[in-house]
Amino acid sequence: MKPSFLIQMALLYVLRSWRSTVVIGVMVVSAVAALVFLASLAMGTNDAMIRNSIGLFSGHIAGEDLPEKFPHGRLQIDGVKQVLLRRLFPVRLRQGDRVETLVLFAVSPSEEQEATALWKKTVAGRYLRPNEAAVYLSEPTANSLQAGVGDPVGVYLSPGDPAAELTVCGLYRTGLSNLDYGIGFVPQTTLPLSGATLSAAVFLEDGVDPQTVLETYRRLPDPPRFRTWQEFMPDLHQLIELNFVSMGIVMVLVFGVVSLGISCAFVIFILKNVREHGIMKAMGVFPAESALLILTEVVLLTLAASAVGTGAGALAAAGFARAGIDLTSLTSHNQYFAVSGVIYPRLTFFSLWLPPLLAIVSGALAAVWPSIFVIRQRAADILRSL
Amino acid sequence: MIEVVDLHKRYQSGRRMVTALEGISFAVQTGESYIIAGKSGSGKTTLLNCVGGLEKPDQGLIRCDGTDIHRLSRRALARFQRERVGFVFQSGNLLSYLTVRENLAFPLALNGISGLQRKKRIEALLESIELPRLGSAFPSELSGGETQRVAFARAIAHNPAILLADEPTASLDSITGRRLIGLMVSLSRQQQCTLVAASHDPEVIRMADHRFQLKDGRKEI
Repeated sequence: MKPSFLIQMALLYVLRSWRSTVVIGVMVVSAVAALVFLASLAMGTNDAMIRNSIGLFSGHIAGEDLPEKFPHGRLQIDGVKQVLLRRLFPVRLRQGDRVETLVLFAVSPSEEQEATALWKKTVAGRYLRPNEAAVYLSEPTANSLQAGVGDPVGVYLSPGDPAAELTVCGLYRTGLSNLDYGIGFVPQTTLPLSGATLSAAVFLEDGVDPQTVLETYRRLPDPPRFRTWQEFMPDLHQLIELNFVSMGIVMVLVFGVVSLGISCAFVIFILKNVREHGIMKAMGVFPAESALLILTEVVLLTLAASAVGTGAGALAAAGFARAGIDLTSLTSHNQYFAVSGVIYPRLTFFSLWLPPLLAIVSGALAAVWPSIFVIRQRAADILRSL
Repeated sequence: MIEVVDLHKRYQSGRRMVTALEGISFAVQTGESYIIAGKSGSGKTTLLNCVGGLEKPDQGLIRCDGTDIHRLSRRALARFQRERVGFVFQSGNLLSYLTVRENLAFPLALNGISGLQRKKRIEALLESIELPRLGSAFPSELSGGETQRVAFARAIAHNPAILLADEPTASLDSITGRRLIGLMVSLSRQQQCTLVAASHDPEVIRMADHRFQLKDGRKEI
């Protein structure tokens, strides 16, 4: 049998058994659409966790201990949205008889407000302003110092140095221990440059792979140490990988259960046609051709239904990707959603191909038993039994 | 030439073994028609199935032009069936989801006949069975007689050497049945096709070149 004739026969069967085709089609369409949407939602959740975590302060890539004359303009390459330079001062803060040792980040307040969301976590007072002699502290640090907004604190850069006096302009709380303990913020011009180390926080455009940018940075002459967020936030990295694995397992399990139903429907769909296969065998259709015909019927139906399902799922994901799904009430105490609990589903190659592939594979597997049945049965036995 | 030698076939029916054929032998020359007569359950269908390769006998051999068809591999047997055999079943057994024209196209496509040649052959077949306007009809839209005529046209579409017909007139009234069998005999003669048919209709039996009676799986003269 020529492949074109085989496809024509399969197509005619699928189209003319339209009631069964519609029932199975609806099952496949809804399963695939649901999985495409779920997969895009999982991607959106991961994105939200990354966006919240790196967007709060750290950036996608951190450059540490940069030389004072490092040509930081070279960090602004394709895919990089913004580079923030920060100076780090190990200091002691004193308020009355209370002392706290911490690292002060000297930052550009306007640039920080543009690129990060830490200032949004202000719980008292306000964020820093350029050139003011002020310090922005976390609430736990301020509590340890028993300092409040407007209180003066003494800053000691090294033992024996005279204290610089700064006013607490605002307090923040993120819920993240690495931001809430041991660090504070001052405007860049507040403290002398000596004794400070220079660091860079690199923020990337959406969808840019940090590794690609990192590779370029590492090719710079005398490159300083750069780390991606996956390296300096291994907990988040692991969580996202765990999410991928668990989502994959969920998809396979969900589709496993759904495909049982679909497979049963397919078996009925094929066995309904077993008389026809018996007639064809009597007319001299080869066993392999019978199996191929059954497989083609199933694959054609699943392909069409999967395409529709993928389209429907993609459409739903695209719709929610614009508006976002606000899960703030479910994420407000979660450190990985410190800034926003809005999730924007994102379609990826993975979320688009896995569900239809699962549908086609499960459909093809469902065709195995009826194919074997048709191949093994003699035409006379099939025709006699009906 | 079809040569059937000492054919035996038994099968299980519930708990008991039924003897369907017992020592059947006969020979049909190319282009001749042969009718196997007998009552329902006498073994006619089993015998035709064995001759057409649809069933394997327990003992005996069936030679078609010197080839023992039951020694052929599965694929070779299927090739023999698609190229050399045409089968008219008792109930027509048209492919239900195909139109009359598509049913007729099926054996032609299986034998690699395509395009204009296939189209012409289908139209000629529709003319010969006097159903030129029913090409687009589905089997469910045909009467019993029309179904059997289409089944016959499909069986001879690819010019097979052997035409096997299992009680083709069983579900038809006597006039329609005689018309069909007349058509079968004349067209198979025209195509030099060996016809082996099973029937218990005396009118049909009279039309054949040769005939024998089956009773409880045994041949009676």
